[in-house]
Amino acid sequence: MDDVKDVAREVLTSILPVVVLVVILQLILFENPGYMVIQFIIGAIMVTLGLGLFLIGVKVGLLPLGEAIGAELPQRGSLPILLLSILFIGIAVTAAEPDVRILTHQIDYISAGSIPKSLLIAFVAVGVGLFITIATARVVLGVPMSYILIGSYLAIFTLSAFAPPHFVPIAFDSGGVTTGPMTVPFILALGVGITSVLSGKDSLSDSFGFVALASIGPVIAVMLLGVIYG
Amino acid sequence: MSLLPLLIIFLLFQFLLLKLPQEEVKRILIGICFSFIGLSLFLQGVHAGFLPTGTLLGEQLARLRFNWVAIPIGLLVGLVTVLAEPAVRILTHEVEKVSGGHINQQIMLYTLSAGVAISIGMAMARIIYGIPLLYLLAPGYLLALLMVKYSPPTFVSVAFDSGAVATGPMAATFTMALAVGVASGTAGRDPLMDGFGLIAMATLAPILSVLLLGLIYRGRRLDDEDR
Repeated sequence: MDDVKDVAREVLTSILPVVVLVVILQLILFENPGYMVIQFIIGAIMVTLGLGLFLIGVKVGLLPLGEAIGAELPQRGSLPILLLSILFIGIAVTAAEPDVRILTHQIDYISAGSIPKSLLIAFVAVGVGLFITIATARVVLGVPMSYILIGSYLAIFTLSAFAPPHFVPIAFDSGGVTTGPMTVPFILALGVGITSVLSGKDSLSDSFGFVALASIGPVIAVMLLGVIYG
Repeated sequence: MSLLPLLIIFLLFQFLLLKLPQEEVKRILIGICFSFIGLSLFLQGVHAGFLPTGTLLGEQLARLRFNWVAIPIGLLVGLVTVLAEPAVRILTHEVEKVSGGHINQQIMLYTLSAGVAISIGMAMARIIYGIPLLYLLAPGYLLALLMVKYSPPTFVSVAFDSGAVATGPMAATFTMALAVGVASGTAGRDPLMDGFGLIAMATLAPILSVLLLGLIYRGRRLDDEDR
């Protein structure tokens, strides 16, 4: 029951202030805001309930799953199997991320279908999968985080020169949304499990960096999509 | 649909590797069910309420004669969302721990909130005045990479991880729709080109904030050693 209470508080504190602010703006800006305010509040109630249920599901089922896989996997399989599994887990988790669904839907809608939702989700998901695989390999090989960061950002800015201009903002935004309420806890659980088994040493600084790399992968993937597509 | 890949992976791992007891399996399956229902409801609510409202508000703001008002409103929205984001509390706590108490949780919260609020305000200014996204992002990341050179390594990982915290579900739903609305309401702006990019800006702000605190921390530690 504590889980439920925590989730309820978490969801309400993050949604309520925005709802209040929006209703105030609606009342100031529009002449007859009645219908709009009601529509917005109904939507907000659905969002609150939905996000709450979703987070409870994540806590009850998906996080223990992430931890179990993170703890078991490095002990059983060889390194190639480990890396391959992580690739697929990354793809699956990203496909389930609510923020990714919304961004890709918005882009599909505003580009009038010229950048289709399913293609974008596929690229974003593969981007996350590949980069958390790299994050794992980094822990195994002991490469400093800053090398990978500098390399990745160089790649991003080089690609941005070749991608069509309207892909650039979309690509950068994709990096931000992959780290939503589903991915962050799942990847953190997985990362902490893996680093504690693999490195044995102080896992604090190593397990960090998983989330950072998960948000760089999709930027590169979507830029590449732009270079190919445009 | 969206949870299908996860379900398949779970079943595969369960049979090949994990072999969790039945009790666990039941818990995980129930969790997946809950997530599925929750996600559907959430997306319905976003499509019915948050997206249309955000877009309409944005368009209305952009049509005002004093359309620069979108900038302070963006600032305010940014501040409200970041202060309400639960992940931010976890991060500030983490940084206090990493710095051995040198970086106070409260100071961190103020730095971060100010950073995110300013970045969303800048994102709005970018749309209204038509500044290309890269003009803002490229120097920002360059600055970040420069600061990486001088920051303690633990701060580097935490900083880049923290980029994620400011962009929770509220940023992805409401704030993004608001920006797209402002872009489509402003003459001469393409909502596709100019409307997106706000989340990217909001991701950069916490990175810079934490790295800055890392530098301050390093300075203080050097002071301590001098004594």
